[in-house]
Amino acid sequence: MSLSQLLHDAIDSGVHQIGQIRILTQPFRLHHIDDVLSDELEVHTDPDDAREIGLYTESGRYRFTKGELSLKKGWIFHLKSIDEVHQALDLFYPASLGIWRALNQDTLRIQHLREKLSRQTGMYRFTQNISTKGAQELVQKVCGPSNQCVKRILWKIDEQTPLEPSEASEFNGILKDCHTNEAIPLLCQEACNYFVSETRKKVKEEFDASQS
Amino acid sequence: MREALYLIDAPEVYVVPDFISEGYFTQEVIPRELELTGPTTHVHGKTIHYCDPVGIHPSMTSLILQRTKEVAPNVPQEQSTLFIVGHGTSLNKNSTKAIADQVALIKTLPECHFAEVLDTYMEEAPFIADWATLSDTPNAIVVPFFIADGLHSYQDIPVMLGFEKDEGQAASQKEVFRNNPYQLRGKTLYYSAAIGTEPMMADVILDQISTFDSNHVTLATPS
Repeated sequence: MSLSQLLHDAIDSGVHQIGQIRILTQPFRLHHIDDVLSDELEVHTDPDDAREIGLYTESGRYRFTKGELSLKKGWIFHLKSIDEVHQALDLFYPASLGIWRALNQDTLRIQHLREKLSRQTGMYRFTQNISTKGAQELVQKVCGPSNQCVKRILWKIDEQTPLEPSEASEFNGILKDCHTNEAIPLLCQEACNYFVSETRKKVKEEFDASQS
Repeated sequence: MREALYLIDAPEVYVVPDFISEGYFTQEVIPRELELTGPTTHVHGKTIHYCDPVGIHPSMTSLILQRTKEVAPNVPQEQSTLFIVGHGTSLNKNSTKAIADQVALIKTLPECHFAEVLDTYMEEAPFIADWATLSDTPNAIVVPFFIADGLHSYQDIPVMLGFEKDEGQAASQKEVFRNNPYQLRGKTLYYSAAIGTEPMMADVILDQISTFDSNHVTLATPS
């Protein structure tokens, strides 16, 4: 089944939300979940416009990860087909549909943190030296809605070491208490590059502390 | 980058690095992240063809000449020197190869009538800062050989050329590409935005795919 068909079937079965976006049908429309009552939305008909809208926050800061809880408001897409809905959603949340499909088909390749860090090279090679305690702290400092990330973490520290319970590790990738059957969750199958760069800082802190 | 394969339904994928030359990212990071083992890799149910970076394709020469026409229209090539500027570093000799190769190619083109075409660098000889003494022509056209505009093309190279000070407003706010020509050191200088901003770059990406197909037998032969 193609990704567009999967999306079509999901919407047919009642899905109406992904990340910070609400999906409406007949005709297809997309808007920010906090814009439900707004009647002054800027209308877009080209799904490619999603790329620009997703680049910056309301205050003009660059959104360095698409899973950031900072999608700006004030727009609505009027789209002609499910393919256009798919195109726009993949620009707002790249690969989110495909990753969700892979999870449901049990084909998603989840990489735990230690594996992810051990494949790093160059200036990030030393991230693999992070302590388990440091990695657990970092998850709670970097991940989850309180830290502006709206993805559900699927990875562990390593196969034997799950993430400690916290808002970050327990978030299900769905905002606003939307029912799990009515939303496509945003999923994190391996730590992002931002997490890796923060790990590098943490490793340096740990090293400095061990020397003092 | 590993999320990219989840974006698509197609079983066959071409990857074209949007990089100006070969290097650490094209030779190590991208293959590592996409789990590539050679020019063509079968991985996770997909066939991935790994092309060369755009910057080393021979059709980049057309972009460079196109850019010179845009930035210096009606300026006679015979009285002009074309400077192609790269970063250059004493750490890696390969970093200048893409530019030296493009210069050599441009010189062979029948439509190229420049008095001189020179590869120059920010941090390696021949230095772009010496542009005025590197050629005898009254006109100079300078094209930064970078994928995108940034600090180098907005600020560093203009400072080296001599029409921008190493201070002042934010680099991205400067209109260095819009004030042509500059009268400097007894010459007329035309300065271009980074070559990667040329819309024809999209064609170079497709050219790189065609070149890959020409160089590798990728289609299964029916038995």
